[in-house]
Amino acid sequence: MQGQIAELTKSSGMLGTVDLEIFYWWCTAIMICIHAGFLAYEMGASRAKNVLASGVKNILAFAFIVPTFFFFGWWIYLAFPSGIIPGESGAAGLPWAAEMGPNLSDNASGVFWAAFVLFAATTASIFSGAVIERIRVSAFVVLAILLGSVAWILAASWGWHPDGWLLKDWGYHDVGCAGLIHVVAGFFALGVLLNLGPRIGKFNADGTANDLLPHNVPMVLIGLMLIIVGFFGFLGACLIFNPGAQWTNIYGQPATLSSYAFNTLMCFSGGIIGAWATTRDPFWMMPGALAGIFVAAAGLDVWYPPLAFLLGIVGGVIIKPGNDFLVRMGIDDSVGAVSVHGFSGILGVMAVGVLASGYPNPGDAPATSFMGQLVGLIVMLLCGFVSGYLGSLALKTAGVLRVPDKVQEIGLDLAEIPCKAYPEAVGSKSATLVPAE
Amino acid sequence: MHTSPITTWDGAAAYFTFADKPAVLYVILAAAVIVTFGTIIMAGIHEIEAFKKIEGKD
Repeated sequence: MQGQIAELTKSSGMLGTVDLEIFYWWCTAIMICIHAGFLAYEMGASRAKNVLASGVKNILAFAFIVPTFFFFGWWIYLAFPSGIIPGESGAAGLPWAAEMGPNLSDNASGVFWAAFVLFAATTASIFSGAVIERIRVSAFVVLAILLGSVAWILAASWGWHPDGWLLKDWGYHDVGCAGLIHVVAGFFALGVLLNLGPRIGKFNADGTANDLLPHNVPMVLIGLMLIIVGFFGFLGACLIFNPGAQWTNIYGQPATLSSYAFNTLMCFSGGIIGAWATTRDPFWMMPGALAGIFVAAAGLDVWYPPLAFLLGIVGGVIIKPGNDFLVRMGIDDSVGAVSVHGFSGILGVMAVGVLASGYPNPGDAPATSFMGQLVGLIVMLLCGFVSGYLGSLALKTAGVLRVPDKVQEIGLDLAEIPCKAYPEAVGSKSATLVPAE
Repeated sequence: MHTSPITTWDGAAAYFTFADKPAVLYVILAAAVIVTFGTIIMAGIHEIEAFKKIEGKD
């Protein structure tokens, strides 16, 4: 009898371990939809003369994040939770560690690493859309690595790691990465845009703006819906699967996957409705869904679902005015990434501070609070903006950031891509330049 | 090439190729790093030359 109980206990434990692997494996697979979506979104938002160059750039972001996150990204996450001095905990993330490869005594490292790789690649894809049609591919890849395998993951080590100083000292709460990914990536993009400059033809000599129309809005819409699908994998992977016990969020607080189901769907729909009600424009409706999720993301585990819905509406409402503001400032964000991710992310982080203070944290970490969220937000803003601005400034100074004006005029596909997107199309090289309203 | 670090699955932990030969791991890792960043540098050089050709067509 004792032997049978021991055998059943061992079997049950192994089943739980394998379930853990399966859960994160499929979350990772679903997250790849984010990249399929961004690929379609960016190509659709490009003019026909740049469509393949935009696609190639996006694909390369994913491709280069994977090895660089193996080389040093995972180590950064594990080594820096206490600040800027690397700790011994980083040893398990070194690229030659026993945990960083097939290992029968470690079922978790590979699937966790993979999920984080997809988080990292998501940050790079967010940034990617903002800079289409005038950034050099090589410069973009360097900046994507800087964002995905360095800046974001350092912020995550501080604000998402269970020993991160933002949690331990301030009780920072950001379960769905409103700040960690969306503020960091959005403001990284803003820092780059300041150095990169607008696309040729975006602004007139008197400062007024033109709309450089997307060549395929249906592709944009399908891409954005794919991103939404991917975010269900993303948000699922933000939970910790504890075999034989209740789920916890990334901070170790008890949570349920059901809470994410309620609130993700409610804020998603709120975002669409908010954007539709204020713009009637399908180009903004699906980003509205994303913004709705991001405004609710930080507290996705605790919101009363109708509150998540209202937060989603706020996200859907603010993105178009946010992007219009940037245009008035002379900033050409081709897909509205700064507004959709950066501005919504700010609201998401602070929504917890205003509407969800007082939730206890494990151990000695303080409860969630307005000040904790504010400090975390400032850290995320700096991580994103400073790294993006300085990285792009260095490339600009070296003269390798921006595609020359003449190449922009004829189209990046003709200059860089050895095949044609629409070889039988008539007039595919013509510019779609019309005055903005 | 014999690359297995184990001779039995009993008690095996890290079993990836060359897991018991750190020096070989470092060489392979260095090669992977060089290829990764080398292709970016090559792409940058290619872009500079391609753009110069187009700009020189005036």
